[in-house]
Amino acid sequence: MNRSRVRAFSRSAAIAALVLFAGATGARAQDRTPNLWFQGTRLNFAHAVPMQGDLAVSTRDDGLRRFLDRLGASVSYQPQQRYVVITAQDRRTIVFTIGDPAYTIAGVRAQAPFAPTADGGDVVLPFFALARALYVEPVQGSTETVLQPRIGVLDVRSDANRTFVTVRGAMPLVTTTNAESPDRLQVSFTGLGSSLAPSRRSAGAAVDEIDVAVGGSPRVPTTTLTIAGARGTTHRIVPADVPDAFTVVFEAHGPVAQAAPPTPPPLGSSPPTATPDYPPGGSPQTPPTAAPPVVAGRATVTDLAIEPGAGDSLAIRVSLSGATAYEWHRLADNRWYIDFENTTLTGPGRDERPSFGAVESVRMRQLGTGDAPTVRIAFTMTGEQRVDLGPSDTGIVITVFSQPADDLTRIGTGQTGGVPVMPSATTFEPGAAGSPAPWKYGPATNPKLIVIDPGHGGADVGTMHNGLTEKLLTFDIAQRLRSILVAAGWTVRMTRDNDTDPVSTDNLSRMHADGKPNADDRAYLQTRCDVANNAGARLFISIHVNSAPVESAHGTTFYWYKPQDAAFAQALEKSVIPVAGTFDDGTRHENFYVVRHTTMPAVLIETAFVTNAGDVALLHQPSFLQNVAQGIANGVKAYAGVPSANALSQQ
Amino acid sequence: MRWSRALVLVVLFVVAVAVAWWYTHRQVALVDDTIVVYYVKDDGTSLVPWRVSLGPARDRASVAFYAATQCVAGPPEGTEAVRFPLGTRVRAVNVVGSTADVDISKDVASSAEGGFAESAEFKALVWTLTQPSLHVTAVTVRIDGARVATLPGGHLELDEPLSRSSF
Repeated sequence: MNRSRVRAFSRSAAIAALVLFAGATGARAQDRTPNLWFQGTRLNFAHAVPMQGDLAVSTRDDGLRRFLDRLGASVSYQPQQRYVVITAQDRRTIVFTIGDPAYTIAGVRAQAPFAPTADGGDVVLPFFALARALYVEPVQGSTETVLQPRIGVLDVRSDANRTFVTVRGAMPLVTTTNAESPDRLQVSFTGLGSSLAPSRRSAGAAVDEIDVAVGGSPRVPTTTLTIAGARGTTHRIVPADVPDAFTVVFEAHGPVAQAAPPTPPPLGSSPPTATPDYPPGGSPQTPPTAAPPVVAGRATVTDLAIEPGAGDSLAIRVSLSGATAYEWHRLADNRWYIDFENTTLTGPGRDERPSFGAVESVRMRQLGTGDAPTVRIAFTMTGEQRVDLGPSDTGIVITVFSQPADDLTRIGTGQTGGVPVMPSATTFEPGAAGSPAPWKYGPATNPKLIVIDPGHGGADVGTMHNGLTEKLLTFDIAQRLRSILVAAGWTVRMTRDNDTDPVSTDNLSRMHADGKPNADDRAYLQTRCDVANNAGARLFISIHVNSAPVESAHGTTFYWYKPQDAAFAQALEKSVIPVAGTFDDGTRHENFYVVRHTTMPAVLIETAFVTNAGDVALLHQPSFLQNVAQGIANGVKAYAGVPSANALSQQ
Repeated sequence: MRWSRALVLVVLFVVAVAVAWWYTHRQVALVDDTIVVYYVKDDGTSLVPWRVSLGPARDRASVAFYAATQCVAGPPEGTEAVRFPLGTRVRAVNVVGSTADVDISKDVASSAEGGFAESAEFKALVWTLTQPSLHVTAVTVRIDGARVATLPGGHLELDEPLSRSSF
């Protein structure tokens, strides 16, 4: 046997041994992997290792990807940095940090059994902790573990005479109404379990009590909610924007007798309510979709219970009605406090001395003014004890441990009880956009020429909502404007004369030459600019209609970029708004392609929103489109005068 | 004599290059426990600062990535805000010197919502990444790893650095 054959044989033997070893270890790991079921099918992981009561799973594992896809969640992770962010379908973020078992769910801190670890370009996460944060509870059976989707949120929110009850689940809700009368509703959610307290007495104006019952099997659970309204109330189910939420509103007719606030329990005793313990990563509250917007002072602290916690700890349970944001601080002198913003206290302040060695005193106070009420809960410790914050069924629980803290973070923020109350007082406008860079442009070589750019066209339809299509509307307005301007003596050129996508041959070849990805957009938009630039036009007007993910956005907006655009945009604004009758959304400095890459004064007009009911009604009327065109023509006259005089002055 | 002078000049040049490299690539340690994430209200222009807690990782690369992911996730539902399309995620944030290069998944283009949404979404992202503690003044954008001129059928030019004065 010569040397090369020996070498080849050795290499083959080594590979075979590696394959056998990998197969054996893989099989062993597979054997130890729990038999997981989710939504009626087996959930298989390529590599999952049981670890400290949880399951270590890589974020690149196809099984995890499928699980997250079905929940509408996504993972963001970048090698070389330490945060792993999972965004749930309801926009909550679950944030893990490599090397730290603590993680947060919508800002609320929780503890996983083990710390995530980086594995090359990948991360290994505690799967059960993540599942719980997404409202999916592992339910152990004799031979299998069922990943049971659950109701994660029961949010109760009231205003003067209405109470909104919102349920939010891990998955789209399958809802059945069992019994119904004006002041009582019983609904079942098939396929969803629940960890909610079996009964909740509502502090709301129009609902007395909510009972929660769970039936069915671990694989197909059913949660039934019975909502008892106050006497004389009526209810209606509010159509939900998202499939995983259900909202019903109970409304009182006439004056409502407010229920007396619950009497505070004696401190140091056991709590009167049997609140189930939430697992790490339990269910912080998230907002309903159809409930009234949160306003200052809407949230209330309804109760404070101080009780022995698990192990050697003290649990301070804060019951909240409504949504609030909070901020906590750990001070250097062993004081710790938490402020609930825009929150009021239903009862008097409290001063307590719990029978727990590590905490000397607990205080609760109403702070702030009527416009910005704040409830502060503070306590003094004997040292730098560990303090954990977590969600509870009725609000939030602060757990103080007797052992010292490893993490002496001094400040943190979070939300609870639904929508966070954002600091409206700090809302601000950033001010003017600053001085744009000097822009080189030459005089118009064709001062009688105006180029009109009807936005979109051809395969690019623009936005489509409410029976309206952007490319058709922009072309309609452009044709009307052309007629008016031509009648006034201007020469008009359109970037498109029909329903086509204007891409010039030159730009297409340039697009292929520069090899830029998605360069169709550059070629397509540059062609529109070239029509005006190459002809030396006096003005460039790009016509669009707007849309937004929020229905409330409405009105006409005038976008500009270059310094010389600003005056033209203002002239159009002054002329269009009175004629069109739309809301004046103002002139805005934006880095929009066609106004940036044209060499003459240019404005992009977003005439109205196809996503706003009022604007939609206008856009359906030909008279409105004519008025917009007339308004733009008036603005051209105000800015550039009449073509003959203008042409003389240019020459 | 001439050789030694040349040697000194070469050494000085190398030192200058090394200092410049260190200055632009240094990891700036962040000491704050919170970071500001901005979102844009329903009017499409008003910015709202939103303070969120940081975990234990405080290096600039981690914090910039964290801030960008929180911004793209947006405030919880029910808060009046213009949001990135659901499913949009941050693939990477690389900070070199005073520029942050953000790579966003192509889901951002899934809802061609016009200039209003584009402008509001990227304004929030740029303001979040250019907050003083991150020492970033400009933001460049990639979509699924690629430089693009605009979003499909879009308005906002994305293949040049964006800064607070872009909006």
